[in-house]
Amino acid sequence: MASTVIGAGITIEGEISADDEIVVQGTIRGKLEAREGVTVETGGVVEADIVSGPLSVSGHVTGNITSSDRVDLLAGAKVVGNVKATRITIADGAQFKGNVDMDV
Amino acid sequence: MALLTVIGRGVRVRGRVTGEADLTIAGHVEGEVAVAGDVTIEAGGLVGANVSARSVVVRGAVKGDLTGEELVRLEDGARVVGDLRAPRIAIAQGALVRGLVQTGGAPSAPARARAETPAARPAARPAAPELARPAPSATAARPAAPSPPSTLAGRPTAIATPQAARAAANHAPAARKGPPPPVVPALKKGAKAALKKKAT
Repeated sequence: MASTVIGAGITIEGEISADDEIVVQGTIRGKLEAREGVTVETGGVVEADIVSGPLSVSGHVTGNITSSDRVDLLAGAKVVGNVKATRITIADGAQFKGNVDMDV
Repeated sequence: MALLTVIGRGVRVRGRVTGEADLTIAGHVEGEVAVAGDVTIEAGGLVGANVSARSVVVRGAVKGDLTGEELVRLEDGARVVGDLRAPRIAIAQGALVRGLVQTGGAPSAPARARAETPAARPAARPAAPELARPAPSATAARPAAPSPPSTLAGRPTAIATPQAARAAANHAPAARKGPPPPVVPALKKGAKAALKKKAT
């Protein structure tokens, strides 16, 4: 289990920077920085720019995503914003609007 | 599980944390924490914010006011600089507090509570005698804090008495043996002659 969980029913407005993994089930507005992975679970809402390692989304993300690793948009995910990552997967059933920037 | 929120070590939050759920903080939070559930600040957790929740349990460090709708509990290792306000407050041995502690009262109106503090404080003290800072248990737990007044009170008298004794000792033998030896000559050599010359 990840050491940091933003549970459902919690709203954080501001800046989060983390050295370890973050699981979001609640709401984050502002800015999210994590060296390790970020998981936005179903029901999780992130209205923030995300800078992270591997990112996995099944909730809602509004904001630009920059990942040093892979980004997985899973079924049920809704993402509005630009994605910059080395690898990206968009699952069937994921909603996505934005640019994709991969190092080619 | 679903309603559990953990802000782990190595995580820094700058901003407001609000919501309905329970919250465990083992990292750094700066800003404001206001949740309807229970807040636990673990050892190693650092909060630079006012915290208000149903219950607040502290094992880490807090700089800010703690307001509990039900209770505020400071456990061993807690360090709090700020006011505590809750119907029930527990401060365990080994917890450090600097601030106003107020049990009972209305947690809903902090402004009113502030206005009432002078009147409320003496009423609150007897209700929680172990919380009152000048209590003997507190002095035993923190010898450094109460010591300044005692040394301040003690030092001047301690200094004054030897001085007085020395002065008395100087005066007493002098009175017995006759005129005391002059420390500085009253007049210089030839001063009397100079005065005479001036007079003439």
